[in-house]
Amino acid sequence: MSLTIQNLSKSFGNLTVFKDFNLEIPEGQITCILGPSGCGKTTLLNVIGGLETPDSGKLEGFENKVISHVFQEPRLIRWKTVWDNIDFVIKDTYPREQRNVLITKYLEMVGLKDFKDYYPDKLSGGMLQRTAIARAFVYPADLLIMDEPFKGLDLKLKISVMEAFVKIWQADKRTVVFVTHDIDETLFLGDEIYVLSSLPAQIRKKYSNQVSREDRKFRDSRNFEAEGKFFELITN
Amino acid sequence: MKGSTIRNSILTFISFLLIVVLWKIASIMVGSEIIIPSPESTIYGLVSIVSSENFLQIILETIIRVLEAFLVSCIAGIVVGLITGFSKTINALFKPFLVVMMSTPVISFILLALIWFKTEQIPVFVAFLVIFPIISVNVSEGIKNIDFKLVQMAKAYRVKGIRILTEIYLPSITSYLVAGISTAVGIGWKVVVTAEVLSQPRYAVGTSMETAKAYLETSTVFAWTIIAILLSFLFEKLIRLVEARIFKWR
Repeated sequence: MSLTIQNLSKSFGNLTVFKDFNLEIPEGQITCILGPSGCGKTTLLNVIGGLETPDSGKLEGFENKVISHVFQEPRLIRWKTVWDNIDFVIKDTYPREQRNVLITKYLEMVGLKDFKDYYPDKLSGGMLQRTAIARAFVYPADLLIMDEPFKGLDLKLKISVMEAFVKIWQADKRTVVFVTHDIDETLFLGDEIYVLSSLPAQIRKKYSNQVSREDRKFRDSRNFEAEGKFFELITN
Repeated sequence: MKGSTIRNSILTFISFLLIVVLWKIASIMVGSEIIIPSPESTIYGLVSIVSSENFLQIILETIIRVLEAFLVSCIAGIVVGLITGFSKTINALFKPFLVVMMSTPVISFILLALIWFKTEQIPVFVAFLVIFPIISVNVSEGIKNIDFKLVQMAKAYRVKGIRILTEIYLPSITSYLVAGISTAVGIGWKVVVTAEVLSQPRYAVGTSMETAKAYLETSTVFAWTIIAILLSFLFEKLIRLVEARIFKWR
């Protein structure tokens, strides 16, 4: 099963971001959208997430899909603890008992169980983003959309947050659409990879990651060839 | 943490002691109790004020005036702040009023109030004119500074509107409101006492100061000043306590 976007068009004033754009998102996999800054990646996510309405086009398979988001910034509420920030999005969905079990489970997975009573101001950037990831997974979503969630983290943190993400994702393999301009992140996380052109955005290349997840390493030398090709595509 | 608190307390005590010593030296050099009374005679004045029959009623009525002014200013300030925060048109309409209010000398308000009102109402009215714009502007700023990315996040997660209001909007505004109250409290006290000096309500700290001045009892003026400082200080402590409870997350 796949989710498909057909003939999507979207403009902001004179700026045409998408014109007859097509995309296929396989379910149960991590789909990466790779492209330079300002190529409409965030707009695409907003359209998928229902935060933006397309001018024309069809989205198929998205009906009745519950969606959760990881944004570029953690978007945590400063006056709520880690626990309450996560609880905030599922308070109306589950009874208290079940929420406690779920939140504990995901906090453990992202390694923040001991920080559940901390306020965001007291946490590092990596911890904040891991909280946002736990929040996205706690939410009973079929589809997760992530907008450059590892941007701005230093290398060590980035690896630890990405590893936490993969671990949590492997538990129930939900459909993920992940947007980035970082080739290393793409090759580490993505199963299906789309490279976008500049505006109006088109798919320049589709690439299926053949390396099995267990064998993937961040910044793996075996990826150099693919990396070079991507780099060419993005910079040209 | 604890060590530095003790150190600060010691430093505060030393600085307090220094004030008293300088005060004593000044009073000896001037050599006139009418111009600069000595610390001892001020303490004597303080004791006789505190033990006097009307003391409690005097400070209580002044405190009530301050509280009244705060209550009315907060209610009006929150309402106007909310409206001006959400509507640019109304904000543009209200802004000149608030700017005029904030730049008018307090003494002008007092003099006009003396012409317009009964003495008992003057201090509250004047304090209102001073505090209300501060609260209103702060609440309005609070609304303008709401993080709409948080609101978008909540909407993306389909959080109910009422919870977005109570858990995102209101807490964001609260921090600005408390900041406004915090600023206004010190000013509010000074304005109420000043207005009391000029309007002479029957029982009031300001009235007592003015009476003492009329009889050239400078030590009593000093003593009332110390009482006014202590009261204002207590109020501020109280607000800090409330602040600490609300802003555990800071």
